[in-house]
Amino acid sequence: MYLELKDQNFEIVAAAQDTGGEAAAGKWYDAAKATYTTLVDVKHGVSTSYQFINVPMGIWVDERGRVVRPAEPAWTTNQTMKIGEKSIVTEGEAYVTGLRDWVRNGERSTYALSDEEFARRVQPRSAAEMEADASFKLAVWFHEKGDAALAGKYWRHAQELNPDDWNYHRQEWSFTPQEAGKKWREKFDRLEQPYYPKLEMKKP
Amino acid sequence: MSAAGAGLAYGAGPIPTTVLYGDQAVNLDKIRSDPKELWVRAGDLPRINQFEVKPQGACRADICIPLSKDLKSGEWFNLTGFARRVRQAYVSDSGVWSFGEIPAVRGVFYQSRMAPDFAVPDRKGRVVRLSDFRGKKVLVVTWASW
Repeated sequence: MYLELKDQNFEIVAAAQDTGGEAAAGKWYDAAKATYTTLVDVKHGVSTSYQFINVPMGIWVDERGRVVRPAEPAWTTNQTMKIGEKSIVTEGEAYVTGLRDWVRNGERSTYALSDEEFARRVQPRSAAEMEADASFKLAVWFHEKGDAALAGKYWRHAQELNPDDWNYHRQEWSFTPQEAGKKWREKFDRLEQPYYPKLEMKKP
Repeated sequence: MSAAGAGLAYGAGPIPTTVLYGDQAVNLDKIRSDPKELWVRAGDLPRINQFEVKPQGACRADICIPLSKDLKSGEWFNLTGFARRVRQAYVSDSGVWSFGEIPAVRGVFYQSRMAPDFAVPDRKGRVVRLSDFRGKKVLVVTWASW
């Protein structure tokens, strides 16, 4: 898809939310033979900037640096994965259809959101969410210094303050891979809302 | 907000202190000893959070926050007191102070729709910013190995 669109003054910036750095993310970029811009975002700075709470999520930014669509799941295929009593649904086809339309038509695209719709979708972070983010950054700092005890303390603090943020949980769990699946499943089974927010793409 | 175990020692010479804010980690070689608050040199403020102490207050771009007397003392600036004043979260441990977003700065995004910039290294360690792509349409998309 990128090769098809890149000549239309369009860029994909992919950011691996990986505290493990290039060692964790690099082989996946290699396998994808990525030709777009490939970032290794150890501190999850992109998720912080755009209020992403899981992966993959994306935003569209126009030529002037203005947000056309704020945070939403950014899949490229439709899948339904049944897990226990629930399912994970990805809505990639509608997302890619919308993206292509916007790259071609810009602000005239029906997928470019109005100011009212932008304001409805983007809510300022709560005090707890802001503290959770500060705590996550402190955890990353201690992790990089090799202090697992302090890193763990502040990862858990971030998770408690913002339980809806899967990045805070899944990143920490990745360091104990033998338990990660079980922890993910326990949290998933308790979920009352969909694992990924419903994609609200307006159809032409 | 919590500031447990701030790790400040009295009379122990230079105290290693690191402030995390945004994409940056700033090391401070001189802070004022205080069991609860983080006092930094006012001159260090711009490299910490891009604010600057001026007669009308602490200012950054077109934002100015008036400073009450308890936030300034000679060359010292009370960074944690300032954070509470502007409703900025912080968490600290062992001489590392992590500050969250400043709502007044963040508010520009909600009002203007201008995407906040980021500064994140690529695979070779070169820092890439969203603003590098001005003039193009951009999809910024995350993923993870986990």
